[in-house]
Amino acid sequence: MRKLLLVLVLFITSLSMASSQGLYSPGSPKDDGRFAASTKQVNQFFRRFNAEESQDGQKRYYSGDPLYRDRELRGQFISILFDNETSGITNNLKSDFMKEVLADNLPQFLNFHREGWFAEVSSIFMYKGKRENVTLFLKIQPEGLGYEWVIDKVIFEPFRDVFKKPSGSEKGFLHPLSHELGFMNLRRAFQDSDTPEAFTSKEYEPDYLTLFLYEMKKGNIRFETISDVKFHFFQINNWYFELNQFNRPGFNTGWLIGNLVKLNPGDKETILKYIYDQK
Amino acid sequence: MKKYIPLFLLLFLVSASVSMAQSDNISPARKQAIDSLALEKVKDLSKYISIIGSKETQFSEANRVMDRAEELFAPGAEMGVSSLNRKEIAYYKVRRYFERLMALNYDRVNISWYDIHYISDLERQPDGRYVGVVTVYQRFEGTSLESGLNYRDTTKKDITIYVEKKQTQIAGRTIEFWDVMLGDIRVTETSA
Repeated sequence: MRKLLLVLVLFITSLSMASSQGLYSPGSPKDDGRFAASTKQVNQFFRRFNAEESQDGQKRYYSGDPLYRDRELRGQFISILFDNETSGITNNLKSDFMKEVLADNLPQFLNFHREGWFAEVSSIFMYKGKRENVTLFLKIQPEGLGYEWVIDKVIFEPFRDVFKKPSGSEKGFLHPLSHELGFMNLRRAFQDSDTPEAFTSKEYEPDYLTLFLYEMKKGNIRFETISDVKFHFFQINNWYFELNQFNRPGFNTGWLIGNLVKLNPGDKETILKYIYDQK
Repeated sequence: MKKYIPLFLLLFLVSASVSMAQSDNISPARKQAIDSLALEKVKDLSKYISIIGSKETQFSEANRVMDRAEELFAPGAEMGVSSLNRKEIAYYKVRRYFERLMALNYDRVNISWYDIHYISDLERQPDGRYVGVVTVYQRFEGTSLESGLNYRDTTKKDITIYVEKKQTQIAGRTIEFWDVMLGDIRVTETSA
């Protein structure tokens, strides 16, 4: 018992040995409200969007708490989750979006673990001695005892330049009686042509991620760094929005909705194609 | 004295969490207790960073504090640093980051921490450990007496925390407790 007491005393002494310049020490600079207002993490974006935390972010609300997912609190939160400085999202569009999200009969919430959102990561790799931009798309998936982010797609310009399937009169082909010749004319695809992809089916899409991983395993591609991250959300019915990080002076900062689109039938596919094709 | 510090910390964690460690699910009450433990670690780190950066700290003392600061981290943890002018992340091992901080060429350095933090939810990883992120803001002021130049910045630090249930034997009894380790830290210069 005496030993335990001694250990505890020594522990407390060891803490007080360090000078007190840490977090919450006397003389800490005071936040003037800007950091409190900022949506500091993507996690906080979810919590604010769903009204699952207090206004100062210090208390997490859970099912059963009086203000958990409170409609009025959600309205206040969501109204500050738009980029108001650069994005040019109209007030009417915001208002339509909020009406649907906050609908009395069928309110809609964001769910971290559900499909319908993914990350776009701008990164830089070394390839053949040059710095190359690579866009990675990551999604969250269940794995083992929890969840993990996984690479779903990659955009890498040098690969795209390699696979340009010709069309019309420029496109080579194997004539429809090639089988009678035992496909001896495959030589045209593999030897005489510099666009062998012309001889693939209409459904053929190059798998850039496999190529990318292959090149990496061969030591031809080396990771350098990350330069930007954003998120795409399709979890709200008939709406798409983009989540960007705004690092600037003022109170409208952090993770905010930087692009908002009302979706008509077919629009989701168009936007996805736009995102994956990278403009 | 130094060699006993991990033991003190362990005993502290056991005493703080022995009553709550019964299952793998993290209830709101347990989450709050883990948040407090995580914040204690972050406070320790903030204190160590201030000491390492201070020009009044002697070389040997700074090295001792760096050792203690490193003990807060899971192996292989890195700092990823970006500035307003350079958005690309520069990576440093934790020790290297501390050494660079200690070697900054100012006559006077003052590192302080804003009175605000944000703690994320805890998410479970595939290996069963939980992971979260604590966000804090740091103000750095460096003065060069010769040139009279002052440099000042504010950085946002997003600190990974790993939360794991562990077991220890005390007086023949097996006691479970939740341990918190720090992981990678993203350091972003802000416009504040």
